[in-house]
Amino acid sequence: MAISARLAILGAALLALAGLPATAGAAETVTLHTSFSPDRLGASTTIGFGFDIAGSSGGVPSPLESVSLHLPAGINYLSTTLGLAICQPAALAADGLAGCPPNSRLGQGSAYVEVPFGLSTGREIPDIQALMGPPHDGNIVVLFYANGQEPVDAQIVFQGELIAGSQTLGGSLTMAVPLIPSVAGGPPVSIVRVNATIGPAGLTYYERVHGRTVSFHPIGVSVPQRCPRGGFAFSGQFSFQDGTSVIARSNVPCPRRR
Amino acid sequence: MSRRSGSAAAQMVCACISICVLAGGGLLGSAQAAAAPVARSARTLSLSETGHLHLTSKHGFTLNEQGSASGTIRGTIYIHLHIANNHGGVTAEVNIYPQGGSLTGYGSASYAVDGAEAVFSGKLSITRGTGSYANAHASSLKFTGAILRRTDAVTVQLSGSLSV
Repeated sequence: MAISARLAILGAALLALAGLPATAGAAETVTLHTSFSPDRLGASTTIGFGFDIAGSSGGVPSPLESVSLHLPAGINYLSTTLGLAICQPAALAADGLAGCPPNSRLGQGSAYVEVPFGLSTGREIPDIQALMGPPHDGNIVVLFYANGQEPVDAQIVFQGELIAGSQTLGGSLTMAVPLIPSVAGGPPVSIVRVNATIGPAGLTYYERVHGRTVSFHPIGVSVPQRCPRGGFAFSGQFSFQDGTSVIARSNVPCPRRR
Repeated sequence: MSRRSGSAAAQMVCACISICVLAGGGLLGSAQAAAAPVARSARTLSLSETGHLHLTSKHGFTLNEQGSASGTIRGTIYIHLHIANNHGGVTAEVNIYPQGGSLTGYGSASYAVDGAEAVFSGKLSITRGTGSYANAHASSLKFTGAILRRTDAVTVQLSGSLSV
């Protein structure tokens, strides 16, 4: 468990002892998973990230409202050719992936949600796509498109903003997650697991060369040239509908020396 | 590469000065040669430059670019673009080598990725020159451009008043 979560629980316990309401105590626990593929210094890579959310005493967690994923310092965004085209959110909402150019794809993933009713409540949203949206205030915008199936029969578009980092400061990707309706008028579902990648793995782009359409693999962001002691540090801040928030951390180990 | 061109230009300027001094001494005689130098008045150019550059090398967060400049001044142009994108910005050193001299400037600009391009917009100052542009200076030139992300080719525009 993250130190901040422990502190929050300790704080909640102290407030309970004092007879005061613990309005900001964490009722959820979050485990963050991160990876570089390949994990090689200076190399173009695909960033993998995922998280598992558990409710207090094993119950369904509160619906997730926002995630802010902080990336390690030194990731080089200059070299990447990811997102050479822009996907317009309105086109994505209207036509799904068909509404956006292939060169706008940034990555993909899946999610697992709990529906707060019924017996077998878990459902997977198998197809989440990340795409390059129109920039906002000079920052890269990442659009997420979730294609839900029964009973979460909804196509959801939401977006995150990538505040790029440098050699000394890590960037961050902040996403506002919309409440996902379980059924019309019903309570929102709770996200319990997400796995996603941002990077060239599995992506094919196209360009015109001498009048012919040629496919190519985009270049991802670069792993930092140096690995700090303890590995590349990621952290995520997760905020929930019940007003609580949790910080979770994950390190990608330093690559082995050859 | 830019240093080599710069030193070559500087050597040419020195050679010209030496020839002029020798010629002046021989033709005009010692009385006129000892006369006070004539002040050369500065003039202002309305600069409107466009540069088309290609990537020569890339080191970490820096792109090194070479190309040609056209507009008010024509010549070879070199740019070192450093992306400091924690501030959403770039810093740049620009060197232009027109016939008979050179111009050097430093600029900073905001930077944003916009699909196939990354665009930048800011200001640039000309801080020194050589040869015909030895007295060149300018501040707050408009400095805009775009980096084609697939190839790292750069198009840059410079405009404003330049004193030479």
